Amino acid sequence: MSRIFSVALFTYRELIRSKLLFVWLVCVAVLCGLAFLLSILSFGSVLEIFMDLGLTGMEISGLLVLLLSLVVTYTTEMDQKAIFLHLAKPVTRGEYLLGRIFGFYTVISIVVLGMGLVVIGLVVFVGGGQVPPLFYDCVLFIFLELFVLTVVGLTYQMIATSMVGLFLYSFFTIFLGHCVGEVQWLLAQDISHGLKVLLKVIFYILPNMEVFNLKDRIYDPTMVIGPAQWDEVLLYTFAYSFVVFLIGWVNLEKREFK
Amino acid sequence: MGLNGAGKTTVIKLILGLLKPTAGKIKVLDGSISQRLVRKRIGYLSELPYFSKQHTGRELLEYFGSLHDLNGKALKHRVDEVLEMVRMSKTAGQRVSGYSKGMLQRIGIGQALLGKPRLLICDEPMSGLDPVGYKEMRDIFIDLKKSGTTLFLNTHILDEIERVCDRIGILHEGVLKETAPISKILESSVPVDYWVDVEKGEAAKLSGLPFQESVAHSGGVQITGLVLAETLALLTSRKAKVNAVRPLSSLVEAYFLNAIGAQDHLSYRGERGRS
Repeated sequence: MSRIFSVALFTYRELIRSKLLFVWLVCVAVLCGLAFLLSILSFGSVLEIFMDLGLTGMEISGLLVLLLSLVVTYTTEMDQKAIFLHLAKPVTRGEYLLGRIFGFYTVISIVVLGMGLVVIGLVVFVGGGQVPPLFYDCVLFIFLELFVLTVVGLTYQMIATSMVGLFLYSFFTIFLGHCVGEVQWLLAQDISHGLKVLLKVIFYILPNMEVFNLKDRIYDPTMVIGPAQWDEVLLYTFAYSFVVFLIGWVNLEKREFK
Repeated sequence: MGLNGAGKTTVIKLILGLLKPTAGKIKVLDGSISQRLVRKRIGYLSELPYFSKQHTGRELLEYFGSLHDLNGKALKHRVDEVLEMVRMSKTAGQRVSGYSKGMLQRIGIGQALLGKPRLLICDEPMSGLDPVGYKEMRDIFIDLKKSGTTLFLNTHILDEIERVCDRIGILHEGVLKETAPISKILESSVPVDYWVDVEKGEAAKLSGLPFQESVAHSGGVQITGLVLAETLALLTSRKAKVNAVRPLSSLVEAYFLNAIGAQDHLSYRGERGRS
């Protein structure tokens, strides 16, 4: 356990001190600028704009930091072979992967949390309104979504043989993961058997990001997140992440470092 | 030792489990590298090690030490000890991004020493070092050797081998051609080229030496060790005053070239013929 913590702390320091966090600052600046602009242009729906922009900004800044961190650390880890020294130590590859996941996730959580505070600040102090109760559920769902994507991204990082490949895998997983609703709709249509099989494979393999999407329903007064839905989302998050982690671990164990 | 592409780094990666053998098994320190206990007793320094630039030297060592299950005071004490050993105590608080190549190499050795390894494996440890860095690294190796650590060096630098190593292995095209103690090599009769220097004005006495293995130059003659005694005897008979006899290549180099069958290609003999 202490070795996992050590790897996580090392990864956390590596990322938090890198210039990647400027991405977060840019996101905050863009969010505030857009919020200010739209609050001037719109009438009566300022709070909703802040909320929509804020939640999207939280998700996008988390995803951007994840993607960039994956790509940048791939260069040092794999291309410059920094991983050799780590794996030659008395640490198992599973412990190493888990430590990297926790380190990445801690940084991404800080980014999302920081963005969340900015959003609350905008809503309360600039908009003069109140944060709806579903906002907190929505933020927690974003945290869970980013956890799944962090596990997927780091698994790709351990499997990928090039930085471009890693970026493309991660980007399309994130993109297609958000299109699972459309895939389900297509499955319900009258399409060829072969295409249906392909879509089903995509549906079951890709992480279903729609599970975590509450943003569109945050102002729906009938919307309540009960314990059953929480259980479902938590189960999905941890089951999916666990399976992906196992795949990453097995691959890392088998991987040869030439 | 081995030429580029001989398989030296591959051997190291196989020992460390970074590559898997296509056949056979690797036993190191009476066990397998997959055992944690075995890994704990091995230190490794890769060629031109890369470290995260966002950390200080001390943080890096603390991290690597924690992977050896060191923590708290024991970790701090060991890190201090190692920093002292690699002469990095004063600069340990600086970010790695500001380190020179020599400092990086010393931190690299430091991380390899944290677990008090019984076996220290270094892949081209002198690579890219300036003469000062080279000497510092060599001194560290000699200290480690004295303290009882087994060093496994993969290197091209013959001087380093002669000064540090007790035993060499020669790898050629993926095959371990020879292993031998350095002492045996230094006593061996492997032919080495010599330069025989004669008194000024006696150069004429060098002409017409009846050996194919000799090349006369002004003021001296280059010969192989095979005909050294005969050459000296002949020069004595010609009453030439020999000022010095100097080896032109090291015995280790000659032994290495001989072992991989490259001596004929690299020696002057085949190209110049009789003088």
